[in-house]
Amino acid sequence: MDVSSADMYTGGLIGMILSAGPMAKAVMVILLFFSIVAWTIIFMKYRQYSRTEAEGERFFRAVKEADSFKKLISVYRDSQDNAFYRLVLACYKEVTSRQKDNPGRIRREDIPAIEDMLRIAISDESVKLERRLSFLATTANTAPFIGLFGTVWGIMDSFREIGVRGTTSLAVVAPGISEALIATALGLATAIPAVLAYNYFLGRLKRILSRMENAAIYLVNILEK
Amino acid sequence: MSEEAWTKMLVVSLALHIIVLGVFSIPIKFPSKKIDLSSAYSVNLVGSAGGLGGEPGGPKAAVKSKPEPKPDKPAPVVKEKKVPPKKPQPIQKEDDAVSLSKKKVPPKTKTTKEEVDRLEERIRNIRKKTDYIDVAKAGSGGSGGPGRGTGAGIGLPGSGGGSGAPLDPAMQKYLLDVYEKIKNAWNVPGTAKKELETIVTIKVRKDGRITDINIEKRSGNRVYDESVLRVLRAVEPLPTIPQSLNADSLEIGFRFVPGGIS
Repeated sequence: MDVSSADMYTGGLIGMILSAGPMAKAVMVILLFFSIVAWTIIFMKYRQYSRTEAEGERFFRAVKEADSFKKLISVYRDSQDNAFYRLVLACYKEVTSRQKDNPGRIRREDIPAIEDMLRIAISDESVKLERRLSFLATTANTAPFIGLFGTVWGIMDSFREIGVRGTTSLAVVAPGISEALIATALGLATAIPAVLAYNYFLGRLKRILSRMENAAIYLVNILEK
Repeated sequence: MSEEAWTKMLVVSLALHIIVLGVFSIPIKFPSKKIDLSSAYSVNLVGSAGGLGGEPGGPKAAVKSKPEPKPDKPAPVVKEKKVPPKKPQPIQKEDDAVSLSKKKVPPKTKTTKEEVDRLEERIRNIRKKTDYIDVAKAGSGGSGGPGRGTGAGIGLPGSGGGSGAPLDPAMQKYLLDVYEKIKNAWNVPGTAKKELETIVTIKVRKDGRITDINIEKRSGNRVYDESVLRVLRAVEPLPTIPQSLNADSLEIGFRFVPGGIS
């Protein structure tokens, strides 16, 4: 207690954290873990989405020039690990399997089946894009509560301290409360970026999925040519 | 996405956290205000451990009572300021008292042994005259000559202890009570360095209220000074001044060092 009251002024954040009680430390470790994982996901998703969007741009450029599937697939010869290529590939496989008896042509009644196939491919991709995004939502929702728990615990400690020492002097109460409040501060510091990132990525995800649906329509159009 | 990308992002995320924590943990140090008190003339008839501890031993004790960590020795000190001096001798004494009790006033800090001896002599003379009757009147203002003598006897640094003269028992008990109360309430800041020292004088009203807190010497450490002021505010009200002392108010000086109060 006494140590922390002086550390507050001289030791900075680390000093404060180190002088906190075991429960406060546990809460802070949990929050730190949440924060690190959340930021890893944020960086990861940012990269994934940027890449997918760039691929979308490339797809639309290619699909406007290409008049056949063969040409479209040839565009992707160099980079095959991307969502739009998988879409094209799924469609291509379906088409070739249906063209077995009648190569080069596609029947009108096969179109709905191919559209279903594309829809499945899109939902597969959307699962991949959404994966781990829920962790951000979890962090955003739980981190403040975890922090609050640490704070409540710390304040309980402080009040017990008052009881034990029999003095209500601010010098006894304040360090404990200040320590306790770091937990809430850390909880909020963890949750706020997670909320922002989650909403941002959700918006981006929506745009990417609508682009994919557009891409599916383009693919069907190519088939119908 | 690939395992490799995850590791990479994890590293980036870790680095980010370390940087942020690092930035926030740069120690924030507030420059502590240093108030130059050397120009302020305040009289401090500090009686240190002597009276209470019953420490015998003439001039030696007198020298000892200069600020110097003495953790376990309870030694509240009484000073009087506003009694209109009526004898020339007490005035002289007051001046010397400053030189004894306050290191801060540079020219006066060098208390020579002769000075101390001379002081002892004078105090003894006065003691004989006054016979410790009027200790209680220290703060009562109107009490003239005799009251002063004893007041000084309590207050003078080392003089009380030096001559081994006992204090008025009621006063002694009261000072001990006050000292105990403050000592129990005081939390020494954990990081306080040994050499920190804050000297404070307070004025206590009859009902135990502190009417005036005066920092005679700041330690230079803001947290430490704050803790001292906090404790003084926290212990209010102090024990009431006993009737037998017959004083409206008392001025008591304390020296706060990390080891204890004296």
